[in-house]
Amino acid sequence: MNIYIEGLLKRYEKTVLNIEKLNIESGKVTAILGLNGSGKTTLLECIANIKNKDEGKIYYDGIEDFERVKNKIAIMQQRPYILNMSALDNIVLGLKYEGLDEKSINKRIEKYKEYYNLDFLHKNAKKLSGGETAKVALLRVAVLERPLLLLDEPTANMDIESTLMTEKLIKDINKKNKTTIVIVTHDLFQAQRLADLVIFMDKGKVIEYSLKDEFFSNPKNDLVKKILRRSDKND
Amino acid sequence: MEILKIVITSLYVSLTATFIASFFALVFGMFFLTKQFKLKDLFIKLFDSFTAMPPVLMGLLVFLLLSKNGPLGKYNLLFTPFAMILAQTLLVFPIIFTLMVKQIDKNALRIQKTCYMLGGRYKDFLTLILKECKNEIMTAVTSGFSRAISEVGAVMMVGGNIKGYTRVMTTFIALETSKGNFKGAVLVGVILLCISFIVNAILYNLKGREPNEYLY
Repeated sequence: MNIYIEGLLKRYEKTVLNIEKLNIESGKVTAILGLNGSGKTTLLECIANIKNKDEGKIYYDGIEDFERVKNKIAIMQQRPYILNMSALDNIVLGLKYEGLDEKSINKRIEKYKEYYNLDFLHKNAKKLSGGETAKVALLRVAVLERPLLLLDEPTANMDIESTLMTEKLIKDINKKNKTTIVIVTHDLFQAQRLADLVIFMDKGKVIEYSLKDEFFSNPKNDLVKKILRRSDKND
Repeated sequence: MEILKIVITSLYVSLTATFIASFFALVFGMFFLTKQFKLKDLFIKLFDSFTAMPPVLMGLLVFLLLSKNGPLGKYNLLFTPFAMILAQTLLVFPIIFTLMVKQIDKNALRIQKTCYMLGGRYKDFLTLILKECKNEIMTAVTSGFSRAISEVGAVMMVGGNIKGYTRVMTTFIALETSKGNFKGAVLVGVILLCISFIVNAILYNLKGREPNEYLY
């Protein structure tokens, strides 16, 4: 699913998002980087219509009416709301809403079992650790297999092994289903490992948007240059 | 035998009032929790201030409503259990409503968005919020029932404390105390306390435990 954004404005007490034009390419993994408070999450939530925009237009495959495309979009929020039921029930809830029968649900879940050790499936999801909760939240949206997947720091609470498996999962979803994936991350290396395209945001604006290789080898914006230099030095 | 009748009438009136008030609080509560409109905060503040409504004032209002010259006077409802249920319902509705809205408010929007994002519809959201916020709802209902069963002013005014018909435990205690029959008053007082305790314990058990309650 292609996303085209035009004149997007979001204000609270001050403007937190101000994007003139942005095209998120269909079938690609796009990473959104940026400092804290740069508007990454707000952008993601505006695309998912979780937050109302003050001005501007968002087109989903050329369609502006969100109601017509809402069932084609799934979002994993930074602090997902985990329902007070088993982890498995959390994961399959969306599939039940879609009317899938038990056999199809089991078949769908099986596809995702190779990525994680899912010993916790029958535990109450509210009792899970941060990493397990993140896995539930991610699987809950991944199993829906919708054309657009928005992920807000999906690996923030995960250990290294789970992080790598999550990245594999994201890549596989993108390749197998041609899913458009937009991922917000603070991890430059994760962006490097995962993304086809990279967006860098600062103060609500997109200050750099390029192919991954170009972004890391030849950035145009001074702030991005500075951050990448600092990251190289730390290596 | 008289005391048994009093206990039954008390439970009938208070449980019915709590049930009706809870039903309407749930219906209005869901509307308030899921819709954004201009005067929403004002309405919630208004209902919040109604929680402090003195029972005798509510009794007076219902009395005026049902008395011969009142708008519903022709139905002869004054000094009946119906009048008592009406007064208690109006008295506990704001309590259940505001407690419910305030406690659920912090999660309602997140549950709604999660449900809709997963492809759920309004009925799915309602099912989900009832399950997710069962504890908060039961807490509000328990508070409402406690207020109803212990209330004396309004039921005395609109029920008339008629022996064998509208006499409830609280009005019995008030009457017997004024007559100097402390033994009877204390006995019914203990029964009232026990019933409150049992009903609250049942409601508390219906709430279930928070999943993380005993982790630490």
